[in-house]
Formats: sequence, structure tokens, C-alpha cells
Amino acid sequence: MSYFRVNENCNGCLACVENCPASALSFDDHNDKRTLNHNMTKCARCGQCWRVCPQAAIEFQHLLVGQWDEVIALDLIHCQVCGEPLYSPAYRQKVESKLKSTSEALCPKHRQSDAASKWPLMGPGKATAKLGGK
Amino acid sequence: MIVGDLKPLEEIVSAIKEYKQVLVLGCGSCVTVCLSGGEREAEQLSRELSLLQHYQGRPPKFEVGCILRQCERDLVIEYQDIPAGTDAVLSLACGAGVQTLADAFEPLPVIPALNTTFLGASDKPGSWTEKCKGCGDCILIHTGGICPIARCAKSLFNGPCGGSQGGYCEVGEGIPCAWTQIVARLKKMDKLHHYEEIHAPKNWQPGGAAGLRKRVRTGLGEGSNTKQNKNS
Repeated sequence: MSYFRVNENCNGCLACVENCPASALSFDDHNDKRTLNHNMTKCARCGQCWRVCPQAAIEFQHLLVGQWDEVIALDLIHCQVCGEPLYSPAYRQKVESKLKSTSEALCPKHRQSDAASKWPLMGPGKATAKLGGK
Repeated sequence: MIVGDLKPLEEIVSAIKEYKQVLVLGCGSCVTVCLSGGEREAEQLSRELSLLQHYQGRPPKFEVGCILRQCERDLVIEYQDIPAGTDAVLSLACGAGVQTLADAFEPLPVIPALNTTFLGASDKPGSWTEKCKGCGDCILIHTGGICPIARCAKSLFNGPCGGSQGGYCEVGEGIPCAWTQIVARLKKMDKLHHYEEIHAPKNWQPGGAAGLRKRVRTGLGEGSNTKQNKNS
């Protein structure tokens, strides 16, 4: 779906094509059809087409607030405790290769509690108790 | 592009505290690219301004919006909704955008949230430097593509002053001497003879010294969406 949209008022006069300062609009006359083309990568969204259109046919709002386009869809690894989405397998692999170690799939919260459980003497209250016993 | 910087928060708070409902409006062009006044900054500013600690009484209610360009009056009038109950707009656009909104939505107060700082370019990610003063009579052809008006602290026309030391300006802060750069560039280009050329004194009228500057391009604004056509 193009971001540049015209309504049924468009009569193909080509005022928009002639006045586009970015050359983002063109047309094809082929057999019995006139086709209007728009190139988003050239479009400066300057609004000149909308201004000059004698038919009020250009629905410029679609160039101001458009839809989102899906770019890529990747597999997702979740926290093995709570299921929170974390990262893609490729991202995990990249981090592990940088750290030169493997890691469990854990969200920040569960990574913290996991680390604390591996160091029982450092748990809340434990260190104080130990010091107090000296 | 036009580069802007957020005003000190206290200044913004002091300007908006008398209002009940403020539209914080970002601009989607230059100030979005220089990370000072786009949609993200508008949302960030609105969150910060909502904190009770900034006010003695109740803070205003904030709505957030962003439009592609605040500096085009007809687009703003057609496409920028002002939510019901809004009694002020806090604009994150440059001065041109703020004034366009103020004209478009008169008598609604439009408050600037940014200081418009300069016309510049990004030399590296996250860094913008002034490049142009908009003097209206470009001399870059003679100066190796480096503007002495914008980039020399004294806007000198005839070469480095006595404050140029080791390629840097006496102003400090690591600012390079524009004239050292110009001479080095002209040498590289094998155009050092440009430096020897005598030029007439610069005419500052196109730079704004003759009053408000305006550019008219004929043949535009005659479609059905222009205000005069809509009103006719």
C-alpha cells in the first residue's frame, strides 16, 4: 500500500507530477491507462502536491501518519522462569561469543535471584549474621 | 539543518505553570534529527514536566503530539488537531515553527521549549557544528567550501587573526581556526590563488540587514488546498 494516496477526485491532470520538487511522482500512459506512480525514497513530504492539486484529491494525511511495515521476523528466546521475551538466538550467540561463556535464558529479575541463590552467604541477612558471630 | 537545544527546565516550567492544559508538540524534521525536539523528546519532556516537584500548585495536564513540520502554516492548520481544553502549546520546533504555530492558532499562546541555536551539520554521530549564517550571498566558492562567516569567531574575510595558534582559535574549546582550514583546503585543491583575490566589501543586505527576508516562488499555491482558494 502506497503512502501517497489520492481519492476519487483525481482526474489525472498531473499537476502533482509537474510540481513535485523531489521528482517523487511520475506517470505512465500505457494503452488506455494513465498510471500515477510515487517513490517514497525520493519523497520529501513537502506537501507541494497537496497544495497544487486543483481537485483536492491528495490525501496527505497518509504521508504524515502512515502504517508500520514489518521489516524482519526473528525467533525469540524467553526467560526460562517467567517467560518474558528476551532476545533472538543470533543475539544470544553474539553475546556468548563476546563473553566467551554460555548463559541461561533469564530476565534481569530472575538473573538476579539466580545469582543470589548461588552465593548463600551473600543473601539478605546472611553476611550480617556471619559478621555478628565473630 | 536547523539545530536546537532544550531550554533549561526551570524556564519552561515558569512559562507553562499558569496554564491548565498544555499540548507538548514535537516537530518531525530538523529538531527530530538533531535529537532535541522530535516526538520522543516531546514525550520525555511531558513526563518530566508532569512531576509535582516542579510546581507549588497543581501541574498542568499534558497532551503530546508531533507533526512532520511545524513551519508550514497550511499543513499545520489542516492536520494539527488542538485537543479540546488546550490553553497553551509548548512547541519543540525551531523559532520558525513556533511563530508559524502562533500565527496559525492565534490567540492560543505558543511557548518555545527550545532555543534555536544554529544552521549546522552533523560531522559525526551525536555532534552538530555550525556551518552557515544564512548571509544571503554565499562566498564558499572563494573559500574552499569553508565559511569564514560562520566558522571564524570574528567572521573575518581576509585570513587568520593573531589569535590563531597552531591551527586553533583563541576562543578555545578546541575550535579550529577557520582560516587555517580554508588555506589548507585551498592548497589541497590547488586553488590558493583564490586567497589572493581582492573582493568588494560584503553587502550585508541579503543577510538581513535590509529587514525581513522573504522568498517568493511563483506558480505555486494555486491549487484547491491553499487557504485563499478554500475561502473563495
